[in-house]
Amino acid sequence: MSLIEIDDLVVEFRTPRGTVRALAGATLHASAGERIAIVGESGSGKSTIGTAIGALLPANGGFAGGTVRVDGVDVGTLDRPGLRRLRRETLGFIPQDPIATLNPTMRVGGQLALVVRDLGGDASRAALAQLLEEVQIADPADVLRRFPHQLSGGMAQRVAIAIAMARRPRILIADEPTAALDANVRREVLKLVFEAAEQTGATVVWLSHDLDAVAKWCRRVAVMYRGRIVEDGPTASVLEAPEHPYTQSLLAAMPSRLRRGVEVRTYTEMLASQAGEPDDAEVGA
Amino acid sequence: MQTLRWVGRRLLMGLVTLLGIALLVFFAARLVPGQAASVLLGPLATQEQRDALTAELGLDRDLFTQFGIWIGKVVTGDFGDSIISGQPVLDEIALRLPVTATLALMALGIALLVGVPLGVLQALRARRRGGAVGSRVISGLGISVPEFVLGALVVLLFSTVPLGITIGAFTAISDDLWLGLVSSLLPALVLSVFCAAATARTTRDAVLGVLVEPWIQAAVGRGERPWAIVRHHVLRNASIPILTLAATLLAYLLGGAVIVEGLFNVPGVGSYMLLAMDRRDYAVIQAAVMLAAVVFVVMSVLVELASNLIDPRVSTMGATT
Ligand SMILES: Nc1ncnc2c1ncn2[C@@H]1O[C@H](COP(=O)(O)OP(=O)(O)OP(=O)(O)O)[C@@H](O)[C@H]1O
Ligand SMILES: [Mg+2]
Repeated sequence: MSLIEIDDLVVEFRTPRGTVRALAGATLHASAGERIAIVGESGSGKSTIGTAIGALLPANGGFAGGTVRVDGVDVGTLDRPGLRRLRRETLGFIPQDPIATLNPTMRVGGQLALVVRDLGGDASRAALAQLLEEVQIADPADVLRRFPHQLSGGMAQRVAIAIAMARRPRILIADEPTAALDANVRREVLKLVFEAAEQTGATVVWLSHDLDAVAKWCRRVAVMYRGRIVEDGPTASVLEAPEHPYTQSLLAAMPSRLRRGVEVRTYTEMLASQAGEPDDAEVGA
Repeated sequence: MQTLRWVGRRLLMGLVTLLGIALLVFFAARLVPGQAASVLLGPLATQEQRDALTAELGLDRDLFTQFGIWIGKVVTGDFGDSIISGQPVLDEIALRLPVTATLALMALGIALLVGVPLGVLQALRARRRGGAVGSRVISGLGISVPEFVLGALVVLLFSTVPLGITIGAFTAISDDLWLGLVSSLLPALVLSVFCAAATARTTRDAVLGVLVEPWIQAAVGRGERPWAIVRHHVLRNASIPILTLAATLLAYLLGGAVIVEGLFNVPGVGSYMLLAMDRRDYAVIQAAVMLAAVVFVVMSVLVELASNLIDPRVSTMGATT
């Protein structure tokens, strides 16, 4: 039994313009301690699959088929207290926009204290400062006193990581955690995420656009396209010898390969020019 | 320092507002048909008698001169004497203010105690289908039923059915604390219905606005309990519009709940104002309205100060406007 088992998962959103199928039979298994990157173009369903693991879909969305199992438990069948327990004890989320996920009216120290106290831990100033030191914040006492809007993006992301890791989650889901950061901060934050996961043995599910960084940090990569996992395997072989045509086009658009003069076209453009018909707009955005 | 300068600027703006209100009140009071002299002297007085009294009261001069004289005295804290009693208006109002203030604070207290939880509940249930229909109907009714209808019903009920509370026999808090509270309770309840309904609606909208914020999603993702989320991550963030409303309600209530005070025979600022209007006692009307306006201006400065404390991003104090 794997820690995460997603089988033929279908997720639909109700919108004023009809039903949008964000996941169309996605299958992905991950075992304890594994680091897996999910890559795919915008709208392919990465965020949806990430939130589905905690049954945290937006209110207008729902499971329409398939199952998500975490540690053998079907999250679709859990009641509210059961879901809360799953989220508290097993999952940790690292957000894309860390400043927005912090309460703007409360100092960093206050928010950390709430989280720690909720877990029955030590919420003394010293203990909180220690938590911030673990995520390499140089002046924890100062950061504890700040409000979220007084933090830089990198600093806020470190705080978010500290909050997520305070619960020692067995599964860490990071949805483009570096999208809002500049290049060198990006590297540091990724290092932090993977080192923290290494220490606690957490499984990492990293949703990303950045194939170069994926090649560096994950031994396994899954490629999403239009709500399905279309390719899944060791990063080296997927990147060297992609089987699915979409993966090939994705690779061709990699910044590190652009220099080699490979023509850049998205897969959708490629399909459209082959079939000579417009792309149906139902899935993808 | 910055805060002080900001408060100074706001108070200055408040003074300008008050001057505008003073103008409005002064002229509006004189739009009420009928003249003070005729009302005072009765229909049998001669024209000479009336003219003499009018001159004595300074009402024969043109309106702008009258306004100038009045405002000149007001800035020194002299609101003039009541035409009827001859006593300084401020003393007359000060005599009645404690009654109205008790009523206002009780009504506001009840409104917040009922309205805020009701609004939060409505917001939490809003996303379920058919959620909170009952409480929404109640607060809709509360906002739309006029006070005089509700008040009249309550008066009728309590004066026909003996329930141990006597209507009409008002006891002041200063005379007897317990009886004073009891006799304020019914009118306060009637007043609080509208206030509670308005509070519930404002709370609901504010909470709904906060519930979709990313930090709420994050707290849900951490598996925090709904009530813990409401307490730590919703209420404080939703409190600015609620505070603003509470301040407005308090100013409105302190200005004298004219209808309810009249219905329940409460000897407060409201019934005094009603009497003053009836007798064209301009000085009293003007002073009572100015009092409400001052309360309003002070409250809005306080609320803005509080907003800056509640949400550090709302830094209106730094803004130059
Ligand atoms: N709340 C929602 N309501 C309606 N449609 C949604 C909602 N959330 C996602 N979708 C749709 O579902 C599909 C998948 O979205 P998702 O956010 O999972 O993509 P993604 O791969 O994470 O994209 P990105 O790289 O831009 O973050 C898209 O077509 C999107 O428009
Ligand atoms: Mg996404």
